[in-house]
Amino acid sequence: MPRFALAIPAWAWLVTFFVAPVAMVVWFSFGYKPGIFGTHANDVLSFDRYLEALSPTFFTTFLNTLWIGLAGTALCLVIGLPVAYWMAVKAPPSRRGLLLALVMVPFWTNFLVRTIGWQVILAPEGWLSTLLQGVGVIDGPLDILYTRTAVLIGVVYNYLPLMILPLYVAFDRVGNPLREASKDLGAGKWRTFARVTLPLARPGVIAGVLLVFIPLMGDYITATVLGGAKGNMVGQLVASQFQTAQNWALGSAMAVLLILVIMVTVALGALVVWLATLPFRSRNRLVLGEPPSTRAAPAAPSGADSAADTAPAAADRVPEEVAS
Amino acid sequence: MKRSWSDVALSVWGVLVFLFLFAPIIVIIVSAFNTGRLLVAWDGFGFDGFIALLAKPAIRDAVWVSVQTGAIAALVATVLGTLAGIAMARHPGKWVFWFIGLLLLVSVTPEIVDAVALLPWLVFLGQDLGLALFSDGVVRLVVGHSLFATAVVSYIVRARLVGLDAQLEEASSDLYAKPLTTFRRVTLPLAMPAVLAGFLLSFTLSLDNTVIAAFVQVSGTTPWPVYVLSALRSGLRPEIASVSTIMLVLTLVALGLVAFVLRRAGDSATQIARTMTGN
Amino acid sequence: MTHTRTPVRILASESAAKVIRSELSRRRFLSFAAAASATGLLAACSTGGGTSSAPQAVGAELEDALSIYTWGDYDNPDVLTAFTDELGPTITLDSFGSNEELISKLVAAKGTSGYDIVVPTGVFIPQMIENGLLQQLNLDLIPNLEFMDPAFLGRAWDPDNAYSICKAWGTTGFVYDKTVITRELTSWADFLDAAQNEASGKTSVLDDPGDLTGMYFWANGIDWNTTDAGDLAAAEDFLVNTLAPNISAFDSYPGGAAIPQGTHVLMQSWNGDARIGILESPDPDRWQWVFPGPETEIWMDNWAIATGAPNPEAAHAFIDYVLTPENQLLQLDYIGYHTGAKGIEAAAAEAELPMLDLVFFTPEQIATMREGEVNDAQQARVDIWNKTKAAAGA
Repeated sequence: MPRFALAIPAWAWLVTFFVAPVAMVVWFSFGYKPGIFGTHANDVLSFDRYLEALSPTFFTTFLNTLWIGLAGTALCLVIGLPVAYWMAVKAPPSRRGLLLALVMVPFWTNFLVRTIGWQVILAPEGWLSTLLQGVGVIDGPLDILYTRTAVLIGVVYNYLPLMILPLYVAFDRVGNPLREASKDLGAGKWRTFARVTLPLARPGVIAGVLLVFIPLMGDYITATVLGGAKGNMVGQLVASQFQTAQNWALGSAMAVLLILVIMVTVALGALVVWLATLPFRSRNRLVLGEPPSTRAAPAAPSGADSAADTAPAAADRVPEEVAS
Repeated sequence: MKRSWSDVALSVWGVLVFLFLFAPIIVIIVSAFNTGRLLVAWDGFGFDGFIALLAKPAIRDAVWVSVQTGAIAALVATVLGTLAGIAMARHPGKWVFWFIGLLLLVSVTPEIVDAVALLPWLVFLGQDLGLALFSDGVVRLVVGHSLFATAVVSYIVRARLVGLDAQLEEASSDLYAKPLTTFRRVTLPLAMPAVLAGFLLSFTLSLDNTVIAAFVQVSGTTPWPVYVLSALRSGLRPEIASVSTIMLVLTLVALGLVAFVLRRAGDSATQIARTMTGN
Repeated sequence: MTHTRTPVRILASESAAKVIRSELSRRRFLSFAAAASATGLLAACSTGGGTSSAPQAVGAELEDALSIYTWGDYDNPDVLTAFTDELGPTITLDSFGSNEELISKLVAAKGTSGYDIVVPTGVFIPQMIENGLLQQLNLDLIPNLEFMDPAFLGRAWDPDNAYSICKAWGTTGFVYDKTVITRELTSWADFLDAAQNEASGKTSVLDDPGDLTGMYFWANGIDWNTTDAGDLAAAEDFLVNTLAPNISAFDSYPGGAAIPQGTHVLMQSWNGDARIGILESPDPDRWQWVFPGPETEIWMDNWAIATGAPNPEAAHAFIDYVLTPENQLLQLDYIGYHTGAKGIEAAAAEAELPMLDLVFFTPEQIATMREGEVNDAQQARVDIWNKTKAAAGA
């Protein structure tokens, strides 16, 4: 059995329903728009659509998108991380599943409907404005809708679950015994969190950041519903070509460019993070020390010890993972 | 047990974030009892919104299509994503790099591209190849909604298992468990929180999918978000809030039941490990 | 309405234009077919049905079912239930959010979409006819057409109502907050001026390239369907460099939230949407609706029957049913847009529906309303729209 046997179903599914049809659309990007009522034609092939797509508008809009993407992802991480940690570590174990579901429940109400909920709260004569004026925090009506702040509220609100869930899963796997061990070895709780818990949750942090950042960069609705004109995103350009201009050729070229630019951004981001955390990682290595000389025997010992034993063994893998 | 200030701060933060998550939902629940013409403009208290639902089967149908699609799409994505996630974490190799590349590509592609691409493709499969399955509205929606969700589940499951020691699995096979048994009794339980989280996320993503859904739907299967979006043209009425409220109440009741049933079930690797080792 | 406004831009009489159009569409279909065979299954996306567009209904017995693909919540539920109760066919209602979605769906399905009645906006009809997406109506089966006001029949996109009948129509104007803008605004030029002054940063415009560029053209006495490069460049310069920094949102439905909540001071909006917004505002006197001169838009959503409709008899019966005066009034009351029926203004006034000045317009006003058109300038308009958005978001 090949190593990737278990990934074959997902691979086949995605190739059939994603790669094949989307490849077709990518193919359109080398064609052109025939007449007013046609959407695409491919009898003459060229890179002209890409030249067209590389307009100043694309880059201006992309910069705005990048700003929203980075700020939104960072805020989601900062807000979501403590919650995920609290849910996975501090909350009573019997309630964790329920809390996890409760994170999602607000999102089972339709997107537009929840947006309207926010508008009612944030409007100049809305709930928050009335409350703040009543308390005397502000004098005039609250002026927050259709500002950059509103853009971020909308984005953070709608993407927070995509951050919290992977983080929760990651913190959950660290397990108490390892943290206890760290404390027994004299590390304070902050040190334990920074040197043990967080490094071990690293794959979850990465998954969360990617799950927020990547779809957000291609999204064009979320940021505009509360942020209005300030929430303009590059995905809008792509959609406007497919929908309003009915120019699938140009739309495809823009989509391909967008995908490429996002991929490059992610790669650059990864590089920056890798370089910036280089010093910290070597310190982690020191704290965690040499791999335990008595690597646990294949047959796990019985009792609660087993998990405690498993954990340091897992911990010693961290540097390997980092290096990869 | 005395709680340190940092624990208290964490709890307060957690509660605040939950309040933040539910804030707009509270507005919607209030609006459900609005007797006015528009959802957003409060007129008076009444049950008009709920009564109006009776006269509009279109709303009920749309919600039902969405719930059905969401559940199936989430199931498909969870199965595919879990297997892929386990493979990536447990059998790493050069292929993982390419596979993650594919997953990234799926998540980075704007929805409108998927939508425009999938529609003719599904028509081709359904009509030109005669696979009647793909002319079915729910099947089409499930296919469209499962793409990004599969990628999400794969990431989360991989993130859960990668670096988590494979000892338990090794132990299991050393104890002559068949690979399938090891998978079922060890690997899967280890991945379970991620599988659960992935399922929840997939369901949620599907429930909100508007762009792909609008393109691939067929007669009789307009999903809920498409209905709401298109109803903007004549102004959203309070019954949209009423049906959302009903859904929320049903969800909370269902969750309460599930929480009650699952109360004794293990939900962390520690407990699973204990169970495994016969404790 | 001159002949040159029809989407096929040739100087010819309407009837000649029709023949030429069908000829054109046949040729274009052939060239599509050639291109399609080269690209294999991609043909699915571009050729359309090409099937006969002759009416399928002959006045036979009604089928048991009827599938309507329309804008969400766009019909009075009482009318729908009454139709089923009286005539039998059960109605399946599906929704789309844009004409482009509707067209993509019908094109891809090649006549097997399963939808009977579709409700496209007028400017998209020539394209749909050309791609063979609509079938001709059998007007003999729609005798209630006599209740329609001729002013709203025979529009440029379908001069003989061979494929479509007005379902609802509206126009574009704007609403402003009298407590902030104390002078009187009456024209598009006033709108653009106020947006740069009192309402700067508190202005929303419709999220549509035609309406965005239209404001500039209407204010400056230029045909808003112009394909003249100079006009388009001037519009771009003004919208991107002068207007954009003052725009806070691109909102097609300010009546749904922004007006009742007082989020903006100046909002371009469609008349029915503005009417709902003002009616539902806690302080209706604060808002002033303006039907702006010298010119503005008329848009119209139309009943039409899709090619390959499985239930053509029921579809005709439904359209005929809706066109009766009492049902038209119910529809108008529900959606707040003029349905194009004759004498409906008197009926609505008698029924004491509120704010009818935002539903009915004088013949003089109607004479200043211009139809839009999907033409060669569409790409340029979309580019201007995107640039304006980029400038407003910066």
